[in-house]
Amino acid sequence: MNARLRLAAALPRLAALALGAACVVWTALPPRHTGLADLALVVSIIGVAAGALRLALADVPQPEEQFFLSAAAHTWLAFLAVLRGLPWEEIAVAAILWLEVQHPARPWYTAGLGVGLVAYLLAVHIAESGAPAGQLLRRQAKVLVAGACLIAVGAGFAMLSATGPGASSALLRVLAAAAVIAAAALVLPRRD
Amino acid sequence: MPGSAELDVRWRPSRHARRLLTLALGGLLIATLARRPEFAGLAAPALLLLGPARKPRPVRVRVRTAVATSQLYEGEVGTVDLIVDDAELDARWVLQPGRGVEPASATAAGGAAARFEFTVPRWGKRQLGSVTLVLHDRWRLVEGRVTLALPDVDCYPYPAVQRTRVVLSRLPNRLGEHAARVAGEGTEFTGVREYVPGDRQRAINWPATTRRGRLQVNTFAAERSQDIVLVVDATSDVGPPGSSALDLGLRGAAGAAQAYLDGRDRVGVICYQWGGARWLAPSLGRRQVYKIIDTMLAADAGWARGDVFSRLPRAALPPGSLVVVFSPLLDQRFVETLRDMRERGFALFVVDVLNAEPPVKRTLADAMTRRIWRMEQQAIRFSLRELGVPVVHWDGELPLDLPLAPYTRRALVAHR
Repeated sequence: MNARLRLAAALPRLAALALGAACVVWTALPPRHTGLADLALVVSIIGVAAGALRLALADVPQPEEQFFLSAAAHTWLAFLAVLRGLPWEEIAVAAILWLEVQHPARPWYTAGLGVGLVAYLLAVHIAESGAPAGQLLRRQAKVLVAGACLIAVGAGFAMLSATGPGASSALLRVLAAAAVIAAAALVLPRRD
Repeated sequence: MPGSAELDVRWRPSRHARRLLTLALGGLLIATLARRPEFAGLAAPALLLLGPARKPRPVRVRVRTAVATSQLYEGEVGTVDLIVDDAELDARWVLQPGRGVEPASATAAGGAAARFEFTVPRWGKRQLGSVTLVLHDRWRLVEGRVTLALPDVDCYPYPAVQRTRVVLSRLPNRLGEHAARVAGEGTEFTGVREYVPGDRQRAINWPATTRRGRLQVNTFAAERSQDIVLVVDATSDVGPPGSSALDLGLRGAAGAAQAYLDGRDRVGVICYQWGGARWLAPSLGRRQVYKIIDTMLAADAGWARGDVFSRLPRAALPPGSLVVVFSPLLDQRFVETLRDMRERGFALFVVDVLNAEPPVKRTLADAMTRRIWRMEQQAIRFSLRELGVPVVHWDGELPLDLPLAPYTRRALVAHR
């Protein structure tokens, strides 16, 4: 494999790592030390790093015969099994969401995080499957545009002033946003 | 060996779908619990991307399998072709080779059709393994898995190189290709004698007739075939795998079977093993090679017809046949059986395939033990030679013709 092919294979992995790191930084600023924010930050960093490592080591083969291996080889295999077995990206997404909710409401900032998380997950998918990025994004362009619009709608709902005092008014806004999203998901024509 | 099967597909969400689902559910849950609508918006793209997962998928797919051959020799490369009929789905094939089967190509391939190459380094009946077919929809939101067991293959021992043949001095009265000691209608010239009425005119030797002044005719040797019984000793398998005594025995027997069957001899086989013997009566023809090898491959199946050679039927050991034995001569009972056969008048020929010695440490006792063991081995071979049984050693590397050379240049005389 020449250098160009190697770079082509490494680019999606690097992009996934960069987007994951950007999401963590985006949501961690300004630093919060309330609740489980610190723990969520640590977990999200571990999740993104381990996910990137999993993608980087995806091509390392598992030996067929695992008898009579050295202790170092056994440790390496156990490390690979843990790396490949746990859903690191899901853990990272959940931790990032939890970290974001620790901050006071900042609708457009959260919308930006949404865009970043979707980009991160798509980059991981491209790196994992080896699918051509341009083709995949072109195919899903309409859906992604619609999704971006809905993120904006969600942020807009969050910026609406409450109709009345109390929790029920906020819940009403959430339900309204969810209804718009559900309607969009149902109305959007099914893709081939 | 083509085959076709319709298999159930187990569908489940792909990793990509699970990740999107986590984002969507996490966003919606937080939006509801924290009453923050912007998190509902954050979940929206993931939900939209998950939309096509609702599309119906096939419950069964038809997979066609074609293994190039069900029989191959050691080290020969075989191929297996796989085709899935549903072309709409992205297919990825992963080969899991069975025990004793080594892949000779990449073990994973993409596309509706795939070809895997494999090789079997050591003889025996082998299960090729299995192939996992992973199907994805266009968006890779769901993945279906199908596991397909591949058929078994018979790996034959690679036959040793043997072009020359050991021929008995006394051959049965059956038409063949070996020149016998009696006169007959063959092609090998044996002498000149005086013409008697009834001799063919074309046999007249005119130069001799001119010299002697009376009609002389050429005489020729009769052409006969012989019965060969190959005996493979499967009681002791010593030595490194791939060149053990049993490996060499089977390869030598396969090479000898080919050589004698090429010479129009009738060849049979007896596999001697713990608890009995498996045999095949001598016969002619190309198919007999494969029958012999199949019999040898089944030798370790534990099925036996008799405990000792004396219980074998007459068909397995025809009188007057040449018995070619491939053995490391480690089992004393087998050696006694050979002596018994020799005393019953069979012409025996032993190819010694022992190429290993017991491991020793650098102690006096070990060195002494090995020396005694060697002397015992020499004594066994000496006692057989004293009975008139030729014993030659074969290392498995050289052609069998070389150790057999002293016995292939002239007919083997077996005294009773």
